[in-house]
Amino acid sequence: MHALIIDDSRTMRTILRRIVTELGFETTEAGNGQEALDALEAGLEPELCLIDWNMPLMDGYTFVTRVRADPRWRNVTLMMVTTESEHGQIVRALAAGAHEYVIKPFTPDAIVEKLELLGLVVQEVPA
Amino acid sequence: MIAAVEPEIGDVYAVVEEVWSTFLGTDEPILPEVAPVDRPQEWTAMTTVGGAWEGAVLVAVTDRLARDVAAAMLALDPADLAPEDVSDALGELVNVIGGNVKSLMPGPSTLSLPLVASGAVPASHQRREVCRLDLSWRRQSLCVSVCVPTGASPEPGPTPDSSTSTSTSEETR
Repeated sequence: MHALIIDDSRTMRTILRRIVTELGFETTEAGNGQEALDALEAGLEPELCLIDWNMPLMDGYTFVTRVRADPRWRNVTLMMVTTESEHGQIVRALAAGAHEYVIKPFTPDAIVEKLELLGLVVQEVPA
Repeated sequence: MIAAVEPEIGDVYAVVEEVWSTFLGTDEPILPEVAPVDRPQEWTAMTTVGGAWEGAVLVAVTDRLARDVAAAMLALDPADLAPEDVSDALGELVNVIGGNVKSLMPGPSTLSLPLVASGAVPASHQRREVCRLDLSWRRQSLCVSVCVPTGASPEPGPTPDSSTSTSTSEETR
């Protein structure tokens, strides 16, 4: 499984990378939506994109709409990870094609829980 | 028309406490200072909100605290940090605090990309401080403040950082 982490903050990319690496994902990082789109155009095939909203050059919302408009990437799971918590923004992102929405700050458990809901992670149940 | 609504100090403290404990753990909680302290001068991070509510959120910290924050967030030794690491970590911290303060206020509104300065943000006659938290983490002082445009309220007030020196460098992410 491969995750594309899209955030202009290297700190946030590092935090997310630690979480999903622990879950067995390989990762690629992008500093904005355009870089991420370029990576997809170059042939990267992630199962999951973790996407910040506010970024320079191309924001996360635009990235979601661009990905969803292209049938080549219809199977990619898109999860917004952002400080944007206004109800209208959440609705916009989900309507544009994001599958899940996580508001910063988040705990690692919150990310794991969402990935479980999306079927990308299966937690082992203790015997 | 700009809304002249001001955030409740208790709500802002709850935001800061939640962000701090989520990113930096609960072993060493962030605590209110028992008495007002001088605003730290070494690093300042700021983000602005525009829209139905307009304002700015600033976080001012000492160099040691800035490095401790960056080291904790990036899981690195403080000695291995570059200035860019510290700037990036503080930018993300103010971004998350600012985004959550924005959610307390009338919307819709948008959050700017963060601005981080090694130094203090110069005083501005265009904004006034409406909320200030003097806090301590690992026995280092930090100050979180919320400012609104002076035009957003009929009562003119003091500007933040009125006694601070100019910044030495700035960068945006």
